[in-house]
Amino acid sequence: MKDTKAIGRMTMVGIAIVIIIIAGVAGYYTGYNSGNDVGYNTGYDTGYDAAMNVTRLKETLVMGTTDSVESCLDPTRAYDFFGWEIIQSLGCGLVEYKAGATGSIDDIVPSLATSWSVSDDGLVWTFNLRQGVHYDDGTEFNATHVKYTFDRGIGIADEDGAFVGIGYGGIINNVTVTSTYAVKFYLKIPFAAFLSLLACQASFIVDPAHAPMPTNMSDPVSRSNAVIVYTEGNARSSHPMGLGPYKLMNWTRTAGKDYQIRLEANPNYWNASGGYPKTKKMIIKFYADSTGLALAIQALEIDIAFRQLGATDINNMKTNTNLKVWGGTGASIQYLVFQEKYAPFNNTQIRQAVGAAVNRTTIVDTVFLGQAQKLYSMIPIGMFGHTDAFLTLGDPNYTKTRELLAGLGFNETHKLSFKLWYETSGHYPQSPQQAQVMKSSLEASGVISVTLDSADWPSFRTHRRNEDMEAYILGWYPDYIDPDDYIQPFVDSSGGSWIHHNYNNSEMDKLIAWARGNTTAAARSSLYSQIQNLIVEDCPMIPTYQGSAYAVTTLKIKGVYLDITESWRHWLLYAEE
Amino acid sequence: MLILIRGSGCEVSWVDKPKVKKSMLSSLIPGLSSLSQRGLAGWLVVLGFIMVASIVMVTAISPWIAPYNPSQINVGKPLLSPNSQFLFGTNDLGQDVFSRVLSGGGIMLEVSILSVIICLLIGVPLGLFSSYAGGLVDRFFCLIMDSVYAFPGLVLAIAIAAMLGRGVINMAISIAVVYVPSYFRVIRSQVLSIKEMPYVEAAKAAGAKGRTVLSRYIFPNVVPSIVVVATVNFADAILTAAGLTFIGLGVSVDIPDWGWDLTNGRRLLASGTWWVIAYPGLMIILLALGFTLIGEGLSEMANPRLRE
Amino acid sequence: MTLRTYVISRILLTIPMIFILLTMVFLVIRVLPGDPVLLHFEKQENPAAMEAMRRRLGLDKPLWVQYFDYLFGLFRGDLGESMQDYSSVTQQILSAFPATLELAIFSMVIAVSMGIFLGVEASKGYGKTRDSVIRISGIVTYAIPVFFLGMVFQMVFGLGLHWLPVGLRLPPRIDIPSGLNVGSVHFSTGLYTIDSLLEGNVFKFVEALRYLALPSLTLGLVLSGVFIRLTRSNMFETLRLDYVTAARARGLSETTVTYGYALRNAFLPVLTMMGLQFATLLGGAILTETTFSWPGLGRYIVDRINFRDYTAIQGAVVFFGIFVSVVSLVVDLLYAYLDPRIRL
Repeated sequence: MKDTKAIGRMTMVGIAIVIIIIAGVAGYYTGYNSGNDVGYNTGYDTGYDAAMNVTRLKETLVMGTTDSVESCLDPTRAYDFFGWEIIQSLGCGLVEYKAGATGSIDDIVPSLATSWSVSDDGLVWTFNLRQGVHYDDGTEFNATHVKYTFDRGIGIADEDGAFVGIGYGGIINNVTVTSTYAVKFYLKIPFAAFLSLLACQASFIVDPAHAPMPTNMSDPVSRSNAVIVYTEGNARSSHPMGLGPYKLMNWTRTAGKDYQIRLEANPNYWNASGGYPKTKKMIIKFYADSTGLALAIQALEIDIAFRQLGATDINNMKTNTNLKVWGGTGASIQYLVFQEKYAPFNNTQIRQAVGAAVNRTTIVDTVFLGQAQKLYSMIPIGMFGHTDAFLTLGDPNYTKTRELLAGLGFNETHKLSFKLWYETSGHYPQSPQQAQVMKSSLEASGVISVTLDSADWPSFRTHRRNEDMEAYILGWYPDYIDPDDYIQPFVDSSGGSWIHHNYNNSEMDKLIAWARGNTTAAARSSLYSQIQNLIVEDCPMIPTYQGSAYAVTTLKIKGVYLDITESWRHWLLYAEE
Repeated sequence: MLILIRGSGCEVSWVDKPKVKKSMLSSLIPGLSSLSQRGLAGWLVVLGFIMVASIVMVTAISPWIAPYNPSQINVGKPLLSPNSQFLFGTNDLGQDVFSRVLSGGGIMLEVSILSVIICLLIGVPLGLFSSYAGGLVDRFFCLIMDSVYAFPGLVLAIAIAAMLGRGVINMAISIAVVYVPSYFRVIRSQVLSIKEMPYVEAAKAAGAKGRTVLSRYIFPNVVPSIVVVATVNFADAILTAAGLTFIGLGVSVDIPDWGWDLTNGRRLLASGTWWVIAYPGLMIILLALGFTLIGEGLSEMANPRLRE
Repeated sequence: MTLRTYVISRILLTIPMIFILLTMVFLVIRVLPGDPVLLHFEKQENPAAMEAMRRRLGLDKPLWVQYFDYLFGLFRGDLGESMQDYSSVTQQILSAFPATLELAIFSMVIAVSMGIFLGVEASKGYGKTRDSVIRISGIVTYAIPVFFLGMVFQMVFGLGLHWLPVGLRLPPRIDIPSGLNVGSVHFSTGLYTIDSLLEGNVFKFVEALRYLALPSLTLGLVLSGVFIRLTRSNMFETLRLDYVTAARARGLSETTVTYGYALRNAFLPVLTMMGLQFATLLGGAILTETTFSWPGLGRYIVDRINFRDYTAIQGAVVFFGIFVSVVSLVVDLLYAYLDPRIRL
């Protein structure tokens, strides 16, 4: 006899399971629509817009990156690529570089300043400010905010930040408010690159309501506390900016690294009437490494992938019909540094010999698969003043290497041997590969023997400071777009002290000071030419390559500009529906 | 890991009691032929031994048999998939993967051998001394060893390696520190049971000093278990060394190393370049597996369970 | 001894163990390397600034004072400040930990289920091919480096077959699950699976599972070998016992006999093993998280190591250690509660 109770129970269980499944599926699809941030669009609207010649743009775009904000989003301390990238979307400077800039002075266009002039002696810069621009709380932007920003930056003098790193304090004497919408900068030295300096993110104007001045300027702790850092759960308190194309809606860091950033259009942006930002919402997601990022863009999970994709991945994606690879000039360079405090590199001839044995072709072709350019000067290609000075040394010229070294007693049986150091934290792209290729090309001369050694980035810096590395590989990203930013921080006795390579040439210092102070293009050009030739003569460092910038996007994305400013303009990106 | 059943604190026990001295040694010394007579356990040891021995041999003679210099870049075009000229293809720098596979075991073997030696030098005497002495001394060492043992091994190894820096010796030290407690515990459990045996009591009654008792009677009985733990130590050391390299605490890139190839090859994953990772990874598995099989087989021979 | 005595003595035992652990970590981190502050200044050496940093982190005090500060700080739950940006290490760890916990739980579930299932299958036919194959596969999986397996899975399931995602915890466009948001009650665990259910969003729940699949499968597979072996040996012994034969004689199906009766006996050792393996699990999680871009505590440690952030490394390692100790304590207590024999 059947157990009716059992059947009844089983039926109830069965019905319950079916109900749960149906609810689950329904919930899934409801969640799909609400969980996604994609805007909802009817066919009627698209048709209407097409008829009226209005192309609807996607409301939200997702970008993936392996970067992360290193310290914070306060211009007084932020000095990393990604920190500057976000600051640029949240804030504005007096001037900016237009998209597609080549680094010439003509590429600088008004931003928060509408016009400017400079005195004949180059020491006084006057700026007329844009009117009718407002902060979040309704305060109108005016000259006092400019003064506040620079007083604060120079006053806080955060040792990790750009104000100290670039040396604002040594350039700007004071900032004076002459009227509500006019401000004057009094400089200590004539500085030709001043406009470029104002266009860089460290000079962006802050919102005093969110950027406190230190209570006691002479107390380092008080100054440090005035720097705005990440606040969990409160995006607005996590940055001091406010006049940019976007507002920071969400910034989530997990375990000290960025997890998610959400940007939304700022209606108060001075160029909002021009339709900027083109995409109202920008989501940035963070991947641990290039493989994760590459897999994500290939799976079309994100719309844009920028920094850092490996050379192999980029090559691979060029043949991918679902993706578009954007390439452009970069302004990042890499170079080999010699420690001149002791042998062997206290000898100029040895430095020249090694410099002549560098094979840039293998570096560019093998390590970067052609996605870089051979560099023969510390000033990048495409920048005003660049000359291919190092070509005279050879690329490579093993005969010269052997000659120079033979004169000092080095030959096949008695090779010049030294240690080459590289960093292992991924601070520069593919450092281990570069080092291996470098070693191989130097040893191909037959008279050099190289041992490789490495350290993680913080230890690498310690070694640099302790001056115990004979030769090491470093890189550089532009702070401001001017040849001065590629010369003074390297070969000037005081400007280059952070490299600790003990290179001092008073003649060089003089040339640098003239070049940065002189405002005539012709004069500067000739001076930089002399400087580059002097660098080849003295050989304190050997430029190797200049990286190209790459971004990969899905097919619909437009508005990607990869120019010499190496700045990623979120507000120009868009995709049509 | 293997067979240790955890109680609370230091009261570990084997599943079975160890046999008396002489038969233990004679069960391990005879040649491979008699090993294989012991059924599956024996076969495991033989198989494992063959795997390990062949890898060691190949690594040793690799400078002579490798078709190309493993460190030389651009012997072929980069990223060629396996073909007739390059059996395992080339990596992103144009190095021959096959040659790198042949010569890449050196670092792993060095690190594991070194860590085993350190463990033997530290763990064995400590275990013998502590368990024989008993009392407070024993409880003290027991507590320390338990604490280290309870700690997530890889985390501790990573922390130590991060502090010490890169290099073969530092990796070996960090692995050894994590593993000493295992030796300690195994030896201790053996010594505790042997200590009570009649012939040991007899020796003590006859006036033998502690040292003599330890070296003549106890130590030889402990040797088989040490060998088992050592083989497991080898296997774990190889995997841990690979893990440390993956995190970036490995050695310089000059030397061919499977761990480094895995780390480096990860960048190439998204473009479908599988051969740079697959073959070195396979070799690591084979090496670790070899040691594990030896350990499994030996432990099953020493402590046969489930004999039906 | 009674359960109460055992509990008390076991807890008392944990305290010195944790203490030793803390001291060990302190020694490893503080004593071994050189001057940690020296590593953190980019372009300018500013002695005043370095002194300030040293003072702020308490590194200018003598070692034994630092030690006690460290211990007292731990009692308050303060693990110090990160050397990168002075933010609270405790807060960073707590933000990263749920991800690792989620990964660990699912991996353990997979490892134990696979282990039990295969172990039972193996024990049913001792000495036969099925048994040998399962045993060998259990040994082999343990010999695979977990990150290698992860990469293989990424290539096969992600790149090749496009079945499963290979990085992060949720699709990039989706916002983080907010957990329970009823009126003024806001509660979230940080575990996306739970939070999405609390939020009532089934889509996010399914997606969270999808993103969990490969990482936990990787880690679970590598760990399963131990459980296979354990279940197999225990099941085999149990299956020969009289009461099992009696159950079969009464006509109960093989499944009921195996899973209902025999497995109960085999379960306790599995529980103990789970506690033991938790430490290994957390270690493997570090490698798995790095492979799958999983934003958890493991990745945190690796990042901090690259940055030489000693306070953070110390804090994370201590956290791991304490967590493992607590888990093993709980497991031991549970075991004692369930198995009276251990207290004798």
